Amino acid sequence: MDIYKKFRSMMDNHIILSFKGEITSDIISMVLQIMESKLDAVQEKGAVKKKIFNILVECMQNLYHHAEAEIDAETANRSAMLELFFDDSFYYITTGNFIKNEDVGHLRDRIERVNSLNKEELRKYYREILDNNRISNKGGADLGMIDMAKKSGQKLDYEFTDVNDRVSFFGLKVKIAKQK
Amino acid sequence: MDNLRIEGTKQTPDIEFNASTGILNISGRSIPENTFEFFNPVLTWLDEYAGVAPDKTVINVSLEYFNTSSSKYILEIFKRLKNIMNDGKEVLVKWYYEEDDEEMMETGEDYEDVSGLPFEILELEE
Repeated sequence: MDIYKKFRSMMDNHIILSFKGEITSDIISMVLQIMESKLDAVQEKGAVKKKIFNILVECMQNLYHHAEAEIDAETANRSAMLELFFDDSFYYITTGNFIKNEDVGHLRDRIERVNSLNKEELRKYYREILDNNRISNKGGADLGMIDMAKKSGQKLDYEFTDVNDRVSFFGLKVKIAKQK
Repeated sequence: MDNLRIEGTKQTPDIEFNASTGILNISGRSIPENTFEFFNPVLTWLDEYAGVAPDKTVINVSLEYFNTSSSKYILEIFKRLKNIMNDGKEVLVKWYYEEDDEEMMETGEDYEDVSGLPFEILELEE
């Protein structure tokens, strides 16, 4: 049993929150509730806390709406992961979820596009998408990436990993600079 | 017509729309997973309001947080109000942001640009 080791590593990596499982509506409310009290304990100004909270909401809602199950079976649950931690310079929010292989290209293009834009261009792109896109029944996932990039002020780190002939694994890491 | 009153929750905003005074207040946070369910009755109310709106409508928007799926619906609210303005009535958006929340201030400017409505962007007093 290496429980102490695991605990030590969570401590050393400054893990604020670590979750694996299906993201349901109840889980989202619970996590937000927990995070509100945890963030109150974080020695940060309101603006940074707000950014963390906002990006966390967006990440969880992406998982809620878009996470796929690893295998195609009615009983399969749509397990995903969510982690929040920090180091000396940044807070990090990471998410991981399965996504259909056919959706990988589109998502990759969107993130690449967002990452290629500077602050002003990102704002312009945000206005454009806000105005032009129809509301999809899953909400504004297209705006989600733009919004996270705007709020974090950093490039979005991401990776896709091959899993099987149906799904890939999508990992996303969003950074938020600590208050200087 | 009836006024619209929806009590705010931890995930949905507080709404107080008064059809006779033309004062519409929306405040709190808007982060529900299913935004359609929440906003659809609000948009329906505004459709009816368009027919009876007084000469001047003022909407006070004072949101602490909202998610991106709410942002589309907020724009839809403004679009409804733009139609009222196009009918020759006066509409004013008062967009409030909390001290230091530059992000929310800029979002107000984004909405002003996209909606074509007159905005006053104001910092909330502590």
